Amino acid sequence: MQLNRQEERALKGEEGRARQLAMEILTKVGDAMGADSLVPISSAHVLAHYSSLHEAGIDMLEKYRNGGGRFAVKTSVDPASVDPENWRSFGVPEEFAEKQFELSRAYEALGGTACWTCVQYQTCNIPSRGETLAWAESNAVVYANSLLGCRTNKITSGLDLACALMGLTPRYGMLLDENRVARVAFRLSVGDPSDLDYRSAGFYIGRHCGSRVPVLSGLPKSSTLDSLKHLGSAAATGGPVTMIHFVGFTPGCDSAAKATGGEKVEVIDIGRREMEEVEGELNQTDEKADLVALGVPHLSPDELRVLAGELAGRRLRRGSSMYVYTSKQAYDEATESGVRRAIEASGARLTHSTDGEISPLKEMGFRTILTNSAKLAETIMSEGEIRMRYAPLRDVIAEATS
Amino acid sequence: MTGGKVKGPALVSKKAFTFAHGVDPRTGSVTDLHSDLLGKNVKGAVLVYPYGKGSTTASAWFLETARLGNAPAAVVTSSVDPATVIGSVVAKVLYGIEIPVILWPEAPSRVKSGDAVEVDAGAGTIRLR
Repeated sequence: MQLNRQEERALKGEEGRARQLAMEILTKVGDAMGADSLVPISSAHVLAHYSSLHEAGIDMLEKYRNGGGRFAVKTSVDPASVDPENWRSFGVPEEFAEKQFELSRAYEALGGTACWTCVQYQTCNIPSRGETLAWAESNAVVYANSLLGCRTNKITSGLDLACALMGLTPRYGMLLDENRVARVAFRLSVGDPSDLDYRSAGFYIGRHCGSRVPVLSGLPKSSTLDSLKHLGSAAATGGPVTMIHFVGFTPGCDSAAKATGGEKVEVIDIGRREMEEVEGELNQTDEKADLVALGVPHLSPDELRVLAGELAGRRLRRGSSMYVYTSKQAYDEATESGVRRAIEASGARLTHSTDGEISPLKEMGFRTILTNSAKLAETIMSEGEIRMRYAPLRDVIAEATS
Repeated sequence: MTGGKVKGPALVSKKAFTFAHGVDPRTGSVTDLHSDLLGKNVKGAVLVYPYGKGSTTASAWFLETARLGNAPAAVVTSSVDPATVIGSVVAKVLYGIEIPVILWPEAPSRVKSGDAVEVDAGAGTIRLR
């Protein structure tokens, strides 16, 4: 990889130990990935939640902090493993919360914004079209590449901090035109898809695209950006998806042929049978759930309003809990507008800056979880300790409330 | 793609693989219910799989697995899995642990679980014995 003079200086340690360490990681990863150079980024999004980063993550952040590190570009962060405001009332073990706060302090000491969300693109880190980013969080990566006209690789933990500290990222993968061409086409043939259908379609794409970039046609014009957010998130959970050309939604994509560059590619139909295949895979049990978990990825203010409407006049059944995950911004907005009160009148709880995928649900005593999130269902069931059920919002609410 | 020379028994998955929620760092045991390696242990093995999947936290799980001494001896993939490459690079920088990562498109069809494998990432060779 070609380095310029300033990058060379940083690598030699002339700009401090933290930047040297970041450059070591950038150059080694860049070389391994076949990058020819490092390119500037306009923002970074990093990971700092204890349930995934563990002790090793604290070691890494501390190493940067002790080395005089400071983020060089705007940096946002994925949700934490606990709600920083309300964690005690959720029964999170104190020792676990302390570990998260250790990580949080180390992150904030490097100059990161205290905006803990997986939908930074809807809240606190909204890029302009054409920008190059270094974002972690697979759902945000799909969203940025597919709907914002930005370029980012799926920046995994470890590389994320290095990019943020240097304001640079290795040029490989999704930063290059040739890797963004669609190599497989999916056709959605479900009229008026439900909230669950968007997620199931995404998951199906993830399961069947292999390492090829997909194009998806057949989306109703009325599809909301929130629906596509969940579709992309499910796709990135089902497989190594970092971009979907959404015909009619992705900037510049008005046909499948445009996305494939006119090349003939395999075409895969997604109809009712395929949706049922996904539902079968993500439903492990028909046992009653002790927790309903919504908001993986975080719900937007619009989605919270819809949920408040669905919950109006209903009460959670005895013995069941409902947690609704969102960003601090949407939480504050919902508090102000009365949407939070409307949701919580049912017995459900709104919680911010964390989500179910990364909070200690097992330690909090839950055994069976009902959700409409393919991402949550897949990641929690992968751990094998909590059983998952996956259903559309309407069914979830009908079952959980009376 | 990252350096080192190791030997170990092959552990081969034909499916997309992830360390995130998929391997228990405290033991090295595969916990992903969708994995064809469920219940097997990656510790000291030459782990072979076609490609990665899922969360961008996979490299952190990989790193914690390495910190606790339960990482595979080497990883061989058909297409580049950035999570293992990055996990391997950071494990070296942070803990001095070397876990070579090699790219070999035919690996999942040419290698069988239990094969004795010698990986030399510096020379870019894999020897089956």
